[in-house]
Amino acid sequence: MLAILKKDLILLFTNKRDILFMIFYIPFLIFIIDSYEPKWLYLAIIVSYTYITSLSSFYHDIDGKSKYILNSLPMTRDRIVLYKYISIFVYFFVTLVYVGAYLWIINATGLKIVDYFNLEMALKAIPIIMIFTSIVFPSYLLFEPRIAQIIHMVIFLSFFIGMVNLGSLGDKSFIKMIGIFQGNRMLILAIILYLASLIISIKLYRKKDL
Amino acid sequence: MKYILEVNELRKEFKDFTLDNISFNLEPGYIMGFIGPNGAGKSTTIKLIMNLLKKNSGEIKVFGKDHIKYEKEIKDRIGFVYDQNYYYEDLTINQMKSIVASFYSRWDDAQFNYYLKEFNLNPKSKIKTLSKGMKMKFSLAVALSHHADLIIMDEPTSGLDPVFRREVLDILYDIIQDENKSIFFSTHITTDLEKIADYITFINNGKIVFSKSKDEIMESYAIVKGGLELLDGDTRNKFIGLREGKFGFEGLTDDIAGLKNTFGDKILIERASLEDIMVYSVRG
Repeated sequence: MLAILKKDLILLFTNKRDILFMIFYIPFLIFIIDSYEPKWLYLAIIVSYTYITSLSSFYHDIDGKSKYILNSLPMTRDRIVLYKYISIFVYFFVTLVYVGAYLWIINATGLKIVDYFNLEMALKAIPIIMIFTSIVFPSYLLFEPRIAQIIHMVIFLSFFIGMVNLGSLGDKSFIKMIGIFQGNRMLILAIILYLASLIISIKLYRKKDL
Repeated sequence: MKYILEVNELRKEFKDFTLDNISFNLEPGYIMGFIGPNGAGKSTTIKLIMNLLKKNSGEIKVFGKDHIKYEKEIKDRIGFVYDQNYYYEDLTINQMKSIVASFYSRWDDAQFNYYLKEFNLNPKSKIKTLSKGMKMKFSLAVALSHHADLIIMDEPTSGLDPVFRREVLDILYDIIQDENKSIFFSTHITTDLEKIADYITFINNGKIVFSKSKDEIMESYAIVKGGLELLDGDTRNKFIGLREGKFGFEGLTDDIAGLKNTFGDKILIERASLEDIMVYSVRG
């Protein structure tokens, strides 16, 4: 686990595209999601960062050309998939620290008032990230990359539209009205989906020709 | 453990190609060359051994153990070199080394640094800035730095200059001085194998043509030259492959004694190279 985590973190901080994403995505979200409640912006940033970095790492190792190297190293396919699923929580904590520092600086400069840490939103982000990855990860194993990309885009854009809707309309928004963020329903759904997705992905990857 | 690598009745079906129940074995302390034309099934076989492809049927044992059941343990003892670079291009040699090293239980930094020096590789260079030959050198340095007992290589010498190719062959030869280690490598450059291989496995169109010791192969095949008047329906059948020109023919045979008996001193018999064997067998 530590070896694969070390690999992912080295890659995250050396890939130019990932670095550009990490630097410019926060200002982009601040610009797009004009929320009267800073907590929704915080949620959008935490979910987007964790989801994108987890997916990027998953895609690189499962479907990118480096899959040959990873699968030739002393590690079973089951472990590779398991670590990818566990690593979303690691990415979540890395994101909390990175985003916290980034937003704190924005706050300190007075450019915009933003939440740089919000426990309520951080806890709400976890089931959302789990649900997104639980749907998208196995689709990369089940379908050809083009179709999996479409599924990813649909999910990500839906989230984005939901966040813009929530940010601009608050309690009158569609998201609030259907009550997605209320109670423990979402967490329970996320846990069931996450476990089912993990088992399906392990089985699919076991049989996959690389 | 009698064999370091055992492949039995291995089958893999694709839409337009089938690896057809192939079998061969490699003993510890030897080098086996895996030859065949493009698309014959060499890379497919190597990917199956490394569990990058899933077999339809058959058995693969490495170090006497099933290659999937004991995958982690087996891969810890395998050094691999592939025909192209699959390492992360944006990383430097040192960064990539640091990633790979964490996976192996017997990684040896001193050995890796030794090979970097030998191959004139700068640890601070990014992998994407390396030439094809340099990338191959880097792969080789990684494969040789964790005390692997089996080195598996897919076309390791293609694209390399003759000086470095010879250097690689010398290194491989040094490795198998340890009689517990073996090397299995596919190549198009059959002259490399003539220098160092102990066994040759020849695959064509998904089927094994032969898997024998190099000496046995060199003794059983020959190039025969003679006049066109010697060829008729019966004698043609004694050749695996035949090339006819204006002034005579040249063919590959594995029935040297039979042809000597039939033609006596009307024919010229020469030693066949591995390339001759491969080309005539494929072309017919």
